[in-house]
Amino acid sequence: MDDRLAVRGIVEKLLQQKGDRGGFSDSDLLLTGGRLDSVDTLELVVFLEQNYGIDFSDGLNRDDLDSVDSLVGLIAVNVSKK
Amino acid sequence: MKIIPPIDTYPGVVRFCETRWGKVALLLAFAIILLINGVSYWTELTLLAGVLSFLPEHREILLSLAALYWLVVHKDWTRWDFIHQITAPAQQPEWVVNLWVAALLAVIFGGIWLFFNHVRRRGGSFTARRPVQVLLSVYFAMLLAAGTLPLQGTARMLLWLLIALVAPYLWFFAYALQDAGSKSADRFPIQFGSFHPFYMSPLDSSTPFGKGRAYLRKTEARTSKDLSVVQLKAVKLLLWATFLHVVDALFVFLVLTERRRSSVILNHLFDRLHVTIPNFAVPDLEAAIDLTAMGVRLPVHVAWGSLVAHFIEALLAISISGHIAVACCRMSGFNILRNTYRPLQSQTIADFWNRYYYYFKELLVEFFFLPTYVRHFKKYRRLRLAVATFAAATFGNALYHFFKDFHYVTELGFWTALAGFRVYLLYSTILGAGIVASQLRSHKLDPNRPWFRRALASAGVLVFFCLLEVFDYEGRAHSLRTHFAFFMNLFSWRG
Repeated sequence: MDDRLAVRGIVEKLLQQKGDRGGFSDSDLLLTGGRLDSVDTLELVVFLEQNYGIDFSDGLNRDDLDSVDSLVGLIAVNVSKK
Repeated sequence: MKIIPPIDTYPGVVRFCETRWGKVALLLAFAIILLINGVSYWTELTLLAGVLSFLPEHREILLSLAALYWLVVHKDWTRWDFIHQITAPAQQPEWVVNLWVAALLAVIFGGIWLFFNHVRRRGGSFTARRPVQVLLSVYFAMLLAAGTLPLQGTARMLLWLLIALVAPYLWFFAYALQDAGSKSADRFPIQFGSFHPFYMSPLDSSTPFGKGRAYLRKTEARTSKDLSVVQLKAVKLLLWATFLHVVDALFVFLVLTERRRSSVILNHLFDRLHVTIPNFAVPDLEAAIDLTAMGVRLPVHVAWGSLVAHFIEALLAISISGHIAVACCRMSGFNILRNTYRPLQSQTIADFWNRYYYYFKELLVEFFFLPTYVRHFKKYRRLRLAVATFAAATFGNALYHFFKDFHYVTELGFWTALAGFRVYLLYSTILGAGIVASQLRSHKLDPNRPWFRRALASAGVLVFFCLLEVFDYEGRAHSLRTHFAFFMNLFSWRG
């Protein structure tokens, strides 16, 4: 499946779990804007670890998880490393 | 109906506030509302917000100059009573003490600047990869040395001065060092603007509101329309803080015995109107626990009254002070999130923790929760979540308060200060356990469940946090036994 679609899917699911049915664009800063919180960050970490094998042991930059665009960028960088 | 109209969504008002006269009107409203709320530095805050409004292209450097101004001119960013106490044996005149402080501050900021540059060079060394861990370890080592080694004279004075001067900046440094590792990090002179920024002056806190430069960069108004909207949001938030201030004053006047005497304006007003207002004669929680320590058993309704009143007042106080600081930050052009956001609507313990004191929670998430979560127990999802939560809500929370209250180490010695910290340790452990339990079951909650089930969940969360207040005690005067005795008093059990 297309990475962007997959990322949009998980973000949409997290927002819906909070009862947030407002739309979002790929560049919306969802953590900075307060629509996603720290518990959602964990869901995103697990999603990236399990689906893309990304290892955050050396540190996690929350900016990378802030929007669909940054998440897709993070996936692309890690896929190209492999 | 909204108590405060959503002025930031009215296109005509937004357009007007983009103009020169619109900005002046906003600043005038800002100044008046700060004055009404009793903010002592309202003139300087308005002046600085004004400069930032008219020169947004120089916002970064102006913030640094404002931080420097506050550091030099105002003395409320650190405990000067402690500095005087620690320098008293040397019997030095005031100007010599100030010189010592200035020299040590230069050493501290110089040292952090060097460390910041070391991290920016992205070396593979441990100190560059884990700068926050190194910073906290060094501070802990200083505190341990000062509290255990038999130091005398100038060496003792210098070490304690160093601790007293680093303490208020510790978590600001942590955010800067964390940002140093990112590609888009600002230079150190710009980072300086986020160290006890001027907009935090209405607060007595070392928790970075607006976090660090990384967050400020992302929330900065880029256009004149953005600036107009964020400044209108600032005024709106200040109006809300004013409303809460009135509620708080009336609540104190009606409920708390001792504090009623200090409500000068209300006492005067009701006297002039010849109106007698009843008072429920509830003692402060602190007074109630003092009485418990003396062996007094309070009537159950008085114990509950004191606890609930304390909880309500704490909620109001943190909302008011946080709203004012956030409003000052927004007035400077940063659309940062509110510190307290509708805590009464919380559906879970974790949700309340997120809504009650956002910037403290974020600090713990950033420096304790996430680093633990991404490194340990990756194969065990529930254990991983639990360990990371305890690392933040229990360990990080306790460490923050132990570091903040360093003066207990001076007064009691390191080990006695640590042993006397038991009450807060219990508080943070129960908090951690509550958040873990809440996080593990929160994904099962349906956001569309009936209103009465949501109301019941909110009530349960509030009862948990209200009862937890019994142990939210950072002092060292009362023992765990006293706090348990008060807790049992609530249920008419004998301790």
